[in-house]
Amino acid sequence: MPPEAAAALAAIDATLAGEPVDPRYAELAELALILRDERPVVGAPFAAELDERVARRFASPARPASAPRRRMRGWWMGSAAGLAAAAVAVVAVVVLAGHGGGASSSASSSAAAASAPAPRSAAGRNKPLTLAAPAGHGSVFGPNGRAKAAAGPASASSSASTASSAGSASAAGTLGTGPAPTPVPSGKRQIVQSAQLALSARPDRIDDVAQQVFNVVGNEHGIVQSSTVTSTGNPNGYANFELSIPSANLAQALAALSSLHGATVLSRSDATADITGQVGGAGQRLAEARALRRSLLKQLAAAVTTQQVNSLKLQLRDADASIASDLSTLRGLQHQVAYSRVSVTIQAVAAPPPVSHGGGFTLGRAAHDAGRVLVVVAGVALIALAVLVPLGLVAALAAWAGLALRRRRREQALDLV
Amino acid sequence: MQSGADPAAGSWERFELLYRTCRDDVFAYVSTLLRDRAAAEDVTALAFERAYRRRVTFDRRRGQERAWLFGIARNAALDELRRRRRLATLVAEPEDVTAAGVEDGAEVALRRTAVRSALATLPARDREAIALKFHAGLGNGELAQVLGISETAAGTLLYRAMEKLRRACDATT
Repeated sequence: MPPEAAAALAAIDATLAGEPVDPRYAELAELALILRDERPVVGAPFAAELDERVARRFASPARPASAPRRRMRGWWMGSAAGLAAAAVAVVAVVVLAGHGGGASSSASSSAAAASAPAPRSAAGRNKPLTLAAPAGHGSVFGPNGRAKAAAGPASASSSASTASSAGSASAAGTLGTGPAPTPVPSGKRQIVQSAQLALSARPDRIDDVAQQVFNVVGNEHGIVQSSTVTSTGNPNGYANFELSIPSANLAQALAALSSLHGATVLSRSDATADITGQVGGAGQRLAEARALRRSLLKQLAAAVTTQQVNSLKLQLRDADASIASDLSTLRGLQHQVAYSRVSVTIQAVAAPPPVSHGGGFTLGRAAHDAGRVLVVVAGVALIALAVLVPLGLVAALAAWAGLALRRRRREQALDLV
Repeated sequence: MQSGADPAAGSWERFELLYRTCRDDVFAYVSTLLRDRAAAEDVTALAFERAYRRRVTFDRRRGQERAWLFGIARNAALDELRRRRRLATLVAEPEDVTAAGVEDGAEVALRRTAVRSALATLPARDREAIALKFHAGLGNGELAQVLGISETAAGTLLYRAMEKLRRACDATT
């Protein structure tokens, strides 16, 4: 501030305070006194009215212009709060829905873990190990789990033929824990069943779990159609099995495979297919072929000319071929019904599978559940913050801009006067 | 009117004291700014009502109660100016001029009339500064706080307004 201005302001303050001022500022002092004396005076009626309002603490109804503004402000506040609550609710629903899918998978794992693993040493199993059996050269395992014979197709066929009689009885069998197939009358409907099971195990337990698979197959009188076991002690270890399990034992076999020690069920899918029509058709064709053969044999017995005999023999060969084909088809279908295909994969995972000590309440389970709850809550809070913080920033920016605009318009009002 | 230690204690008493000490000053300032007595009364009442409603939001660390009150009054007056968007009539009453002339003599009366007329010709910003200083009795610091500018800028604004007023008075006489 220029010294002259500061001196003038000091003279004004001195004048208003009743103090003497330099004669140079006599005119300014006179002006200040006139201005002070010219100040507008409150009218007595207005003063009395305002005093009364203040004494009542402004209890009278608010000015008409204020009420809508307050209502509008309340509406905005309510809308903002509602919007924020809706955003949080949507985020919570989305997060919980997403977590729900994981919980389903987790439940599946828990179901396997509930009956699982007793700790077992796998010392000396870190060397790479690969066992492979080509398809069609299935190994039949006895109850002790050891291969009785590395049989070829004949052996497998024999087993299938032997088991085919039990196939119809197992046609109505249902899976222990999977979705129940459509109920059909036992002995009438011909149902083909199959299942896929994905397991995980620690890298150092791949071959141990694989051996348990062999044991289960042996206990259930099944056939290992093919298998591949690669145990490296690293997370890239794996094992694949293509099993043929008697349908009558499928439920028990799947239950046993789902509760192998040291393994966790990652996924399981079951499938059924009704081939009653195909079996019936094949049986009908076989019966017709046999009837034709019998008829041809009768005609052959009654034949008198060489030409007739030759012609009938030719027809008999065709009939025999048709009977053999139909019989093969029928046996194949019966084998599909009697034996269910089960695919088992074991994938090595770095983290140990969750260990369950049964369905009871334990401090460890409670701590685990509490941790999960906290993680979910923290996730919801984080996502809610991710939504609300930008909204809050936008709202704050809008409020700041609104205030600045209002202030500017107020200042502009001075320039209009 | 919230103190740092006890926000709610005596808020009504403090407001009542503020009202009694500032009512006439607020009216004088608003009246000079609006140049309309009726509008000035409405704005003064509105300013005190707003101050009463917001008394709990007052933070002493951000300034004095008096400056806070005049800030509310200024906003209400500017809102009124925006609403009206028209020039107000001169606030002075003819009978007041006559009364002053009878008491102080013709020369003084003429001088006051010249000042009044010159004040009416000043821009609103200059008139506002003069009203805050001489009609509301604010110090330079409070004046700066009400206008939202530094104390130096407020002093400069007031000095220039006084210079303009003095030149306008000389021109009218």
